Amino acid sequence: MFLSCLYRRRGGIRLIEFNHLTKTYNGINAVDNLSLVIRSGDVYGLLGPNGAGKSTTILMLCGLIQPTSGECLINGVEVSKNPIDVKRIIGYMPEDVGFYANLTAAQNLHFFGRLYGMPEKEREERIASLLRLVGLGGVEKKVGGFSKGMRQRLGIAKTLINDPEVIILDEPTANLDPPGVADYRNIIRQISDSGKTVLVSSHILSEVSKVCTKIGIMHNGRLIHEGQWQDFAESVNAMHLPEMKINVETTSPMPDLKNPGIIRAEYAPGRRRAKIVASSDIRAELSEELFSHSIIPKEMALDATTVEDAILSFYHDQEA
Amino acid sequence: MRSKGLFVIAEKEFMDHIYSRKFLMILSIILIVAIIGMITGSAEYNQQIEDYNENQAEAVDTGGFTGFMGFKPSLMTIFGSVGDLLMSLGAILGIAMGFDLITREKESKSLKILLSHPIYRDEVINGKAIGGISALFVALLVTGLIAVAILLIFGIVPSGDELFPILLFGIAAFLMIFSYFAIALFMSTVSEDSGNSLIYTLIVFIFLSILLPVFVADTTIDIIVGEAPEYPEELMEEFRGSMRAGGGAPGMDRSALENNEAWVQYRAEMQDYWNKRQSVSDFITLLSPTSNFEHITDSLSGGGPDTMRTREGAFTYADTGDETAGPLDILGSLAKNLVALIVVPALFFGLAYVRFMRLDVR
Repeated sequence: MFLSCLYRRRGGIRLIEFNHLTKTYNGINAVDNLSLVIRSGDVYGLLGPNGAGKSTTILMLCGLIQPTSGECLINGVEVSKNPIDVKRIIGYMPEDVGFYANLTAAQNLHFFGRLYGMPEKEREERIASLLRLVGLGGVEKKVGGFSKGMRQRLGIAKTLINDPEVIILDEPTANLDPPGVADYRNIIRQISDSGKTVLVSSHILSEVSKVCTKIGIMHNGRLIHEGQWQDFAESVNAMHLPEMKINVETTSPMPDLKNPGIIRAEYAPGRRRAKIVASSDIRAELSEELFSHSIIPKEMALDATTVEDAILSFYHDQEA
Repeated sequence: MRSKGLFVIAEKEFMDHIYSRKFLMILSIILIVAIIGMITGSAEYNQQIEDYNENQAEAVDTGGFTGFMGFKPSLMTIFGSVGDLLMSLGAILGIAMGFDLITREKESKSLKILLSHPIYRDEVINGKAIGGISALFVALLVTGLIAVAILLIFGIVPSGDELFPILLFGIAAFLMIFSYFAIALFMSTVSEDSGNSLIYTLIVFIFLSILLPVFVADTTIDIIVGEAPEYPEELMEEFRGSMRAGGGAPGMDRSALENNEAWVQYRAEMQDYWNKRQSVSDFITLLSPTSNFEHITDSLSGGGPDTMRTREGAFTYADTGDETAGPLDILGSLAKNLVALIVVPALFFGLAYVRFMRLDVR
């Protein structure tokens, strides 16, 4: 009770805390003096280009590597001092999720479930429902024959097997196909609705934008921005980026778009999809133009590669 | 409080081994060759027993000397031939079981997942070792039971005195295979992938089983023991001269040579030199699990180095072993080899343990 009051400030309790966390490899700081608080119930997106230090941060949070200095705490428990206690309440899925190829999906989950000391009956029920949740119900073949996407789905099921309080996902959509991504988003929403805390690491801004309420941006091991997702989105929109790549999808064929911000446009056969390269984020103007032709835009998304540009530009703006 | 990880991992590893194709294939080969070896050995043993009984009966009738067939053939000679097979195939089984235990986890990316569960790191490496040891034990138990069954089929019932050497043979075989399993496990912790791990393990296997006993031992002995005492050439020249001049002539005869102070000193130094060489050689071959197992097998089957030793360049028959040697006598004579067969795998397992505990999981 006391601890709960101590940690409870605004919003949920301080469930995850990084205090001056640093990890050095060969004299280079992979994570550099990171301080961050994630509250219970948050779906937190850790954004940054490859090599920013996201995965290293997550490995320290999961007790898989030791910090050079600083500390990370989950529910007030310091990870490096009590890794077993922490591991009981987290569910972790790495980017390159791996399983035992000679076992089926259910056998893999049974093995991991036993490591949590789950009774057999509880395990049976939980595994059946999780496999249904990730679309692998009834799949009997061994994991060695799984596609990357199937492994990733199984990874999500494994992450949830112990009904963890904290779910940590490192690049969760890296290998998923479009239906898998949609399923993943639904699962995250369900988890979020049940009040659990989720930390998602990604370098794809559009993915984070669809599931996260808060974000932190890492670059060269340092946290360069932290706050509500909405604030960041507005900042990105306000930025002058040299080139924005916008993917447009419509319900009916579109004419040549005339917006002066367009540098070049490529239309797919049938003209229901287009890749636009523009001088700035002109998604709102493009939508208006399409509406004027009585065409409804189905999707209007910044290309993933643009995200890194946006983050880096954001970073340079912050430095300037 | 310890987690249940050790038991869960050991059980999974055991089942993985038991159902793995490579384990079943190598075990099948071992069983087939062991069955053939036991059948052949049992048939030969029965023939030897028959010859021995005939010889004994003849000796009683004629009241004469029993000759070489006066010694009753040992049951352990049957196991001796199986021991030669186990030296190579058993080592291969141990290597096959251990070389990819950790690298496979690294390659399949499952190590990161495994360690993110509430288990201690040592439970992973200990669980893998226990699972492997259990599977090895089962493999040798099956081989042993089949061997005993063949003996019984041939009407050979081991006596109480023979059971202990058979048990000791089984323990030595287990320890020898476990030694190579531990070496392979260590290589698996230091290698990036299974291919490299296998190559490193095979290099160590060849070094310990072939190079160490044959080449390195001699080279190392020369370095450690140094040069042999200088031959007293002048003294021998004087002796040869006096021999040429005719026996009984004044000068040096054989008895005078035997009492010559310089010759006595040379012989003492030479004896000391060879004793040192033998000690160093014994110590170096102790590092080789194959040599230790070979020594134990040969000693138990009565044809080993204990029965024949080189002294001053000449072969002399030593005590061939008491027919009624008790378990303690046998244990005493093989103690250093048995201890070495425990120390070598313990050392490599210890190194694997330390390496795994410090492994960077990224």
